[in-house]
Amino acid sequence: MNYPFWEIPYLGSGWVIGIIAIFHVMISQFAVGGGLYLPMAERKAMRMPEGPLRTAWLNQLASHSKFFLILTGVFGTISGVGIWFAIGLTHPEATSTLIHNFVFGWAMEWVFFIVELTTIAVYYYTWDRIDSELHLKVGWVYAGASAFTLIIINGILTFMLTPGDTWLAVAGTGQEASKFWYAFFNPTYWPSLFLRSCVCCALAGIWALITASRIDGDKQPELKTSLVKWSVKWLVPSFVATPFILIWYLWLVPASQQALLTLGIDTIGSGTFSIITRIALLIIVTSATIVGVAYFLAYRNPIDFNLSHAMAILLLALIATGAGEYAREMLRKPYVIGRWMYSNGVRVPYVARINQEGYLAHTNWVWNDSASSYSRGEAIFRGECGSCHTLAGYRPLRTLLAGRDRANIGSFITMLHEYKPDSPYRRFMPPMVGTKQDVDDLTGYLNAQVNPPQKPVLTAQK
Amino acid sequence: MSSKTIYDWVDERLGLSELAAFARHKTVPVHSQSFWYYWGGISLFLFLVQCFTGVLLLVYYRPGAEAYESVRQITFVMHFGWLIRSAHAWSASLMIFSILVHMFSVYFMKAYRKPREFGWLSGMALLGIASVFGFSGYLLPMDELSYFATKVGLQIPAAIPWIGAAIANMLRGGPDVSEFTVQRFFALHVVVLPAVFLPLLGFHLWLVQRHGNASPPSVEALPPAQRKSMPFFPNFVRKDLAMWLIALNLLALLASVFPWSLGKAYDALAPAPLGIHPEWYFMSPFEMLKLLGMIPWLQGEPGEIAGILLFTLGIALWVLIPFYDRNKESGQRARAAHYFGLLAVFALLSTTIIGYWTIR
Repeated sequence: MNYPFWEIPYLGSGWVIGIIAIFHVMISQFAVGGGLYLPMAERKAMRMPEGPLRTAWLNQLASHSKFFLILTGVFGTISGVGIWFAIGLTHPEATSTLIHNFVFGWAMEWVFFIVELTTIAVYYYTWDRIDSELHLKVGWVYAGASAFTLIIINGILTFMLTPGDTWLAVAGTGQEASKFWYAFFNPTYWPSLFLRSCVCCALAGIWALITASRIDGDKQPELKTSLVKWSVKWLVPSFVATPFILIWYLWLVPASQQALLTLGIDTIGSGTFSIITRIALLIIVTSATIVGVAYFLAYRNPIDFNLSHAMAILLLALIATGAGEYAREMLRKPYVIGRWMYSNGVRVPYVARINQEGYLAHTNWVWNDSASSYSRGEAIFRGECGSCHTLAGYRPLRTLLAGRDRANIGSFITMLHEYKPDSPYRRFMPPMVGTKQDVDDLTGYLNAQVNPPQKPVLTAQK
Repeated sequence: MSSKTIYDWVDERLGLSELAAFARHKTVPVHSQSFWYYWGGISLFLFLVQCFTGVLLLVYYRPGAEAYESVRQITFVMHFGWLIRSAHAWSASLMIFSILVHMFSVYFMKAYRKPREFGWLSGMALLGIASVFGFSGYLLPMDELSYFATKVGLQIPAAIPWIGAAIANMLRGGPDVSEFTVQRFFALHVVVLPAVFLPLLGFHLWLVQRHGNASPPSVEALPPAQRKSMPFFPNFVRKDLAMWLIALNLLALLASVFPWSLGKAYDALAPAPLGIHPEWYFMSPFEMLKLLGMIPWLQGEPGEIAGILLFTLGIALWVLIPFYDRNKESGQRARAAHYFGLLAVFALLSTTIIGYWTIR
């Protein structure tokens, strides 16, 4: 509320982050998993007997490392900065909290980033230029540095879902950073780290299949067969361990968030199950498909495995990754930082004060003295609803409220304002905060969108 | 009794070994366009999904006056009814889409040329029947949208000169869409169309087995030693299975994340709600008729007649392409056929986009 609003019509600002984040996760997790894949593959090649297969493996790895360098070093870093840019604009309140709490964490991460970017460049440019043992060591340094970027960012990401009681006890006192390690090693830290590590390995195999698919199977059958089969094996640990880690993860998620999932599972037969459950099922189905498709297309037919097949597997991985990240976001509802900040940027302990003094009184970038109820309603809509809803597009209020008249819209907003303990909306929506006048202004604005005033009938005039 | 003994017993009577030997010897060409070979198989898979989910829906669906109520029960009361209905509706759309992709890939690979003319003709007939499947199935829930969309859709056959009105009346079972129309469409959807579709599908698949997959002209021009191929069994079958898995995954995604909705029950006396439009695969002809009607000297009946004539001519040219662009010596005709194909893709895409853009 201390910042201007960034309104994206139709798409919604949340999806701007979502699209960039899904793209980034596909690449950054490859950067971590692939960081391990490269030295492991190089070590395997070095242990092979001298001969054409060994040389071919090393040449192929050099080619793969070029692809790796460009994809992670260019697109990974650009999209990473893109996330910063987007969250800063979309959720300045939450971003501010994260920076104030985790500035030390990000400082560490930037150090590892620099090591990562430097070593991968050295790794690529020193193939056949330095001693092979030393080259392999460079690969291991890269693997370590990239693993640490995950180890650090995981603490910050999981903090947003489960900040933990210790940090919450000092939240808002200005002493938050003193509980840095408690916030960092929060309840879901470890299962999430294992989960992401598994995904990283799977993505390393999937991206390696992209470059391996380009090998001419007729000219180099032995190379293609061995490399494709070895890369497929990188998918196995993840798909064996993931279900168990997922159960561990969900077990540690707060009961209110678990309720979102169980509500969906209870009502699955009648088709009313929550979106988070649908998405969770989608992750399971798509992961199983990836294993099946990789088995049929790659493992059993390595020679014929081509770029289209590899792209099909990558596309499935994109669906699974996108669904996973979406599910993680949905699981946080109605908060953006668990039990501390609602998804529209309102801090939980501030609700009573805003209800008394008015929403716009705490909104520095809006002209508070606007005499028009419609303008005030529009500002409240942007601030309180705009993080998750658009007027027409994603979660469109014009459609969601269609069929309601002014009184009906008003009672719905009043229900969100009262936020009674038994309200079903508490599970995924923040309260509507503000005074009675704010409720009325928002009602008027939304009513004008849902039931626009009829245009006056023009009569024919000379 | 060992499994070999059982196999031998069955083999002696059904000739399984011959079938296996046939599958082993059959090959599929491998080249940069091989990707397009999978679309026929994907269409077949989606048709199988249609049969499976369709039979399950048939158990609870009641045509006639209770049509809407029975679909409401399937969607909201029966356990997993929503999933079966969504899978049926989504796989119908996906099937038409994959048949269209299959058709255009066959067209641009010139796979309709000698000796595959019957493959092309039977494929076109299958596409025609599939679209009638879609049209008849769309009405069955009898909600507001399907009712009015069918009313609008029937304007196309009704626009045929002289006999159009009679055809439309026969399809409707009266002057307007009603419960009698549902009865007729239901009979068409579950008895008449499958009875025609299934043997034709068998014929089409038999032709594919008989003539094998066609290579594009650029591959055919290569000397035999440079052409590559893979065994149909197990290599191609494994890949086909992988494609089926992907199609199933996509279907699961659409059916669970975007379940097919059910609108209000239809009310013949109510005004048509805003935004009524046909299914996406009928949007192009619908929009073309609308666009023709906007030409000043073609407004009203002349526009409709011109539209129908244009469609008939276009479809006739399209279906009869094997007799026009016959072989690799076709030269100028082959190029003309190629441009005609591009024009068809452009017309379909552009009119569909304009159609959705201008929904009111």
